Amino acid sequence: MKRFAWIFPAIVALFAVALFVHEASLRLPLALWGKMFLSSASLSMDEIILFYGIFPRAGVALVAGAALGLSGALLQQLLRNPIADPSTLGISAGAQLAIVVATLFFPEFLDGQRTFVALFGAGTAAAIVFALAARRAFEPVTMVVSGLLVGVTAAALSAALTLAQGEYLMSLVTWNGGSLSQQDWSVFQSLSIEFVIAAVLSALLLRPLLLLGLGDAGARSLGVNLVGIRFAVATVATALAGFVAAGVGLVSFVGLAAPALVRGMGIRRPAMVVAVSPVAGALLLFLCDGLVQFLASSAGETFPTGAVTALIGGPLLLWLLPRVRTADLHEKSALIPKPRVLRQSLPFLLLAGLTIVVLALAVARDGTSWMVLDLTQIRDLASLRWPRLLAASAAGGLLALTGAILQRMTGNAMASPEVIGVSGGAGLGFATALTFWPTGGALTQLGGAGAGALLVMVLMLAFASRRHLPADKLLLAGIAIGSLSSSVLAALMAIGDQRSWQILAWLGGSASTATAGTAMLLGGIALVGLVVSLFFTRWLTVLPLGAPVARSLGVSVPISRVVLLLICGMATGAASLLVGPLSFVGLIAPHIALRAGFVRAGDHMAASFVLGAIVMAFADFGARTATFPYELPLGLFAALVGAPYLIWLVARGER
Amino acid sequence: MMSFNRRGVLLGSAALLLAGHAKAAGAPQRIAAIDWAMLETSVALGIMPVAATELIQFRKDAVEPAIPDDVIDLGLRGSVNLELLHLVKPDLILISPFYTRQEGTLSAIAPTMSLPFYIKGEPPFEKALNAVRALGERLGRSEEAMSVEADVQKQLATMRQSLAGFADRPTYLVNVGDSRHVRVFGSDSMFGDILVRLGFRNAWPDRSRFTFAAPVPIEKLAAEKDARIVIISDVPVEARSGLRSSMIWNALEPVRQGRVLQLPNIAPYGGVTAGMRFARLFAEALQAEGAAR
Repeated sequence: MKRFAWIFPAIVALFAVALFVHEASLRLPLALWGKMFLSSASLSMDEIILFYGIFPRAGVALVAGAALGLSGALLQQLLRNPIADPSTLGISAGAQLAIVVATLFFPEFLDGQRTFVALFGAGTAAAIVFALAARRAFEPVTMVVSGLLVGVTAAALSAALTLAQGEYLMSLVTWNGGSLSQQDWSVFQSLSIEFVIAAVLSALLLRPLLLLGLGDAGARSLGVNLVGIRFAVATVATALAGFVAAGVGLVSFVGLAAPALVRGMGIRRPAMVVAVSPVAGALLLFLCDGLVQFLASSAGETFPTGAVTALIGGPLLLWLLPRVRTADLHEKSALIPKPRVLRQSLPFLLLAGLTIVVLALAVARDGTSWMVLDLTQIRDLASLRWPRLLAASAAGGLLALTGAILQRMTGNAMASPEVIGVSGGAGLGFATALTFWPTGGALTQLGGAGAGALLVMVLMLAFASRRHLPADKLLLAGIAIGSLSSSVLAALMAIGDQRSWQILAWLGGSASTATAGTAMLLGGIALVGLVVSLFFTRWLTVLPLGAPVARSLGVSVPISRVVLLLICGMATGAASLLVGPLSFVGLIAPHIALRAGFVRAGDHMAASFVLGAIVMAFADFGARTATFPYELPLGLFAALVGAPYLIWLVARGER
Repeated sequence: MMSFNRRGVLLGSAALLLAGHAKAAGAPQRIAAIDWAMLETSVALGIMPVAATELIQFRKDAVEPAIPDDVIDLGLRGSVNLELLHLVKPDLILISPFYTRQEGTLSAIAPTMSLPFYIKGEPPFEKALNAVRALGERLGRSEEAMSVEADVQKQLATMRQSLAGFADRPTYLVNVGDSRHVRVFGSDSMFGDILVRLGFRNAWPDRSRFTFAAPVPIEKLAAEKDARIVIISDVPVEARSGLRSSMIWNALEPVRQGRVLQLPNIAPYGGVTAGMRFARLFAEALQAEGAAR
């Protein structure tokens, strides 16, 4: 530990306590606090609020922060990954999804069984993420990308379910982050008990956990049951996140920040990091909550504390970026050509394409039954149907193309457009336009989103041009920006007025806003994007072999990255501006294309493009017919298509 | 065959209507209401739209006016089913500034009419009355508009008189979000505006806090000890037992003294009809409490 390193946390702690005392004494002067505990007279309202509202709130902030800090520290030690925490691994999101599902379908059950529901969700999400990452030896970037995908899926599922129930207003509510406001000591009590049990278990598990850090062989020779210990530690960390989600809702990134702060103070011994992290987490959440309350009492804007802690996630990830170890695990086995499969795949692609065109133009549904339209009807509806078919396929094609390029460029099979942060930037720009030019109309909003996407792209390009940055870290930078943008959007939605509606609508994504003009524009961009990227086939053939090989073959890694990212950014930007920030198609289409035998770079890109277009067209068809006449947001539907694929990927296990 | 579907019938009737389209060149006859406040306003003027949005939710949340089963559900307010709207062949689409983003797409199908009801910080009742007038004019129903307005003013005046005995208490208008948070209706809400017009003082001095996530912690309702608390719309199932056992909720003076009124569901962003539904239910609840006050 550095000398005087304790001064900084001490000042922060003092400041947090002062903030708390200041806020609490607004309710009841400090001098009267003693009387409250001593006098036997019944409490006045102010005293009740102090005793049952403000004190337990501080207590809950401390305990929840400690629980998240411990959870993050355990996960980071277990996975040897400085960016692991319940929020980056999607565990909190899973817990939250379970709570949303229970709210919608079993509200009576939820009333009292919240903890079980949250634990179930957290456990399921953790199981999926760990299983996904096991394929790449729990390598940090893959873990976080998998966690992000699970988080996105959970958010999409929750929104889609609420929408399908007709609770449009409710739909993204629960993602606005946890509020720490309390009415009595019950949440504090249960969280404290749960935390103490988990802390004792962690203390027992600490020694074997640290032995794991010596490497598997070393640990095994010391008689450590590897699987058992890993499982136990993961269970404790997951349960902690579930408890917090049940008690106060979604509070992100405290588990990420706490161990990072501890290490930042110069504490290096793993045992100390695990032991001190709960303190740091408690202090951090207490401080954040104090600031939130100060903001509420002085500026009148109330944010849920969870929405505020989410804001620290993005910058923190960027700061931690240099510390993340990346493994150059390229999946070369996937690049072995399978021409036999290719011959079978082509007719299938054609057939699927034809099917969706016919379906999209000539089939309708009225809520009870399906029907095939006759020619007059087709003509009548064509003017509404072809633009969205074209817009959806073009967006799908662009996103899949981006996914293929990114996966080849970074050698990471989990890379996809949502991790380069461009749609996040578009979202931020969109929100900014709504905030400052509320009457600006569609064009201003589009301009704002475009500017936001561009800005993020420039940032990403600056990152990418760094010579020694491993490709995987590029993905992390994108995730950081994406997380920052979604937390800002969530905070804006928490303020809530007309803006929230529009942000909600945009987040969901929809091809139905496409007009003939925008659809043709997007279609044009898609074709140009495909043709341009086919010029870079050589780069994309060489880059997957790793940076050293690329250099030796005369390919400049920084230049090729900047150029390729530029294409990706523009493709993602165009797609998300017109259709919304869509997920998964960019991830799964390149995978399927590879598996279908389109292995050479050019084939891979073209096939991904076509597949992406087809998948998105199907998704759009589903989105507008599944709950007719209630249209599901296209982005959500696309995510629902992607989720089963992810699970299938997990179930398949080894490549 | 029985379910020879609505769309089939729809296409047929749409074709029929195409023939009779020219005749109705004057006042619009086939109204599609995207905005709920506009839907109410149109019904108040005696014209039932042929189609409207989110009717499942509307019947549950707004209750009034009753919408017959043959009104076509156009899907979500946020993403209207354009295809269905096209098939309905409306000659006027009613929206509000909430829907600016979709205006272009909608006006490609039929002319749109957009009237403002809710502007941050401004009381909405006058705007709702203006909407009655403006829509009445557009639909050739100016006389009905005048009688609706006269009726509303008369009812308000009567209620104001009969409730005068209750008006000395400041009143909180809230909607329960979860067991720890409420949404609060201020002067820029329909309910808050009506409350003042009934001669009451809103205990919440600020603008409304009505967002997806309920933003106001319950202890904020302790500021006015003498107030009564009016809960508008059902308390969510998962919040009921939490609220019942909440120390702070039970310590609130109005709760201790039994000055809590529970009103059924009313649309929070409605028009004249929602406003009057609130006035009536509020008056009934007050009078039922009667002596208890």
